Amino acid sequence: MDKLLTVTALRRVIQLTAFVFFVYGATIFATFYTNDKLTQNLPALSCAYDMKGGDFCALIPLQHQMDHRVSGIFTQNAKVMEALIGTLITLGTFAILILLLNKAFCGWLCPLGFFQETISMIGTKLGITQMGSFSRETINKIRPIKWFIFLFLVLILPLLTGIGFLGHEWGNPFCSICPSRIMTTTMTGDMSQVYISQANWGYFALSLIADLLFGLMVALALFVRQPFCRICPMLPMQTLFKKIGLLRLVKNGNSHCDTCSSCVKACPMDIYEIQNQAENKNITHTDCTLCGRCVEFCPHDGVMNFKYGPFTILSSSKESFKKRTKIDKWWKG
Amino acid sequence: MNKTILTLLVAATLWGYGDGEMYWAPHGCDEGTVTASKHGGHGKGESAMFALMNMKENTSTHLILPDLSKQPLTFKLNTVMLPKPKMGGYYAMVAEGNNTDGVYSAIRYLSLQGRPSKVSPTKLTSLPKVALEIVPTPLHREHDRYTASKSYTFILSFMNKPLNNTMVTLETFNTPAQSYTTNDKGVFTITLPDDFKNVQIGRSENKPSEFLLSAQHRDGAILFKSTLSMPYSLNPNDYWQSQSYGAGAIFIGFLVGLFFYRRHKNQGVSRG
Repeated sequence: MDKLLTVTALRRVIQLTAFVFFVYGATIFATFYTNDKLTQNLPALSCAYDMKGGDFCALIPLQHQMDHRVSGIFTQNAKVMEALIGTLITLGTFAILILLLNKAFCGWLCPLGFFQETISMIGTKLGITQMGSFSRETINKIRPIKWFIFLFLVLILPLLTGIGFLGHEWGNPFCSICPSRIMTTTMTGDMSQVYISQANWGYFALSLIADLLFGLMVALALFVRQPFCRICPMLPMQTLFKKIGLLRLVKNGNSHCDTCSSCVKACPMDIYEIQNQAENKNITHTDCTLCGRCVEFCPHDGVMNFKYGPFTILSSSKESFKKRTKIDKWWKG
Repeated sequence: MNKTILTLLVAATLWGYGDGEMYWAPHGCDEGTVTASKHGGHGKGESAMFALMNMKENTSTHLILPDLSKQPLTFKLNTVMLPKPKMGGYYAMVAEGNNTDGVYSAIRYLSLQGRPSKVSPTKLTSLPKVALEIVPTPLHREHDRYTASKSYTFILSFMNKPLNNTMVTLETFNTPAQSYTTNDKGVFTITLPDDFKNVQIGRSENKPSEFLLSAQHRDGAILFKSTLSMPYSLNPNDYWQSQSYGAGAIFIGFLVGLFFYRRHKNQGVSRG
């Protein structure tokens, strides 16, 4: 029983509950209609294409606003405030949610994050050799991809579509390739999102990328931690507001931190920066999902902390490190 | 001349559709000229003018707005022009009339753009509108549309109570009437037929078609007849989207991932 009392175990319970709500919520809690969704601007990849979902992510309204509203500034001489009001409402709602839970939406609530972690657990139990941390060089190469996806697939291409430079298929290109669209719909028994379109080259390319990416993500998740999260455009969007988040990772380091690197090994996103010395500093990185593994696996008392506003809600300690390491060995067999 | 031939051809094609039933149709829709919407459910493709086909005497009509308020509509012959929408969401067009044969009603739902009403569409569909009513459960979602080859569920209610073991008829322009019977909870499920002709590649290249549900119920000496008419679109997965190729692409992606795994294993990297 003692084995269950860890941050990761608590996180799994919350992830599973969130998964049920976000993927099947319309059949249990909310209703079927878009109007009845909880926020319509969730900072996690819960998909609007899932007709049974309880809420959907902020990236779909953002792409639509770029395509249908913001583009009006250039094509219809629309008033700037009128064209931007929808986007501002989306960003405002998003900011409030980030204020409440910051990047914990990724590590604790995202259905796609949980899906990948579940596959990873299956991979471990199947005895598949797990890959350790990527090298710093590899991480530095991967990191810009999410910014590229955010800028081009979420903002620029939909805007160019609205202006008229691109065909309608580029109106919501991120959704067209997002693995969450395929995962959530498939989970509800709706296979209609698994397809290759032959309507034109644009639709063909986007549908092909979506299917390949989904298959690749599933295979990689068997031995790589959080493969899609590393390029998810939700991270840059969260980063725009992370400074206001009440929940944050705070480090109060000491001289041991130069040599230990337990936190980096534990980090599913391979954030090397968290091992740097810091004195009572907010170290919530752009890639951080606030999963709490670094706090669990830090062997030093009070060095890594989860803080909510002025309150410390979780702190690293020798005892919890020993317990967590023991559980990890038991889990990996 | 061409127009006359076209009208005769269309009339011949639609012969029998909604025969004798009172139902709503977009003005011009009998010729299939409703604008194809590139944005299903955004209301951009909705017609502003509707005709009440086979209109009975003493028929009145009104619009129920997304905030559930009522707005009377005025017939010009058998057509009504919708006012500019003040709010976004689902609207219900309701017509009810009677003659010596019985009471007739027709309902149609529309999704129009505007400022959000902040009222759930479930309240609009569950609001009693006429005595005998075919209620979508649920009505397709705002960004979705009725689509061929998909199944949809409805409840037949009379005086706001489910009507069991009653026959409901489904008709489309290209498929003859099919009958369904409600279960003990008044529920019935239909599958919209894939019956589009001259299909072009691309959703926006194909005009939506129309389906008509009709039911009747006798209560004492009075016969109640009701219809629900809605547009439906073709299903791209029946034409230019291949699901088997999609599954194949996922499999290839998975194999690429396994290739990376093999490479990683050969390199002897293992996580501590």
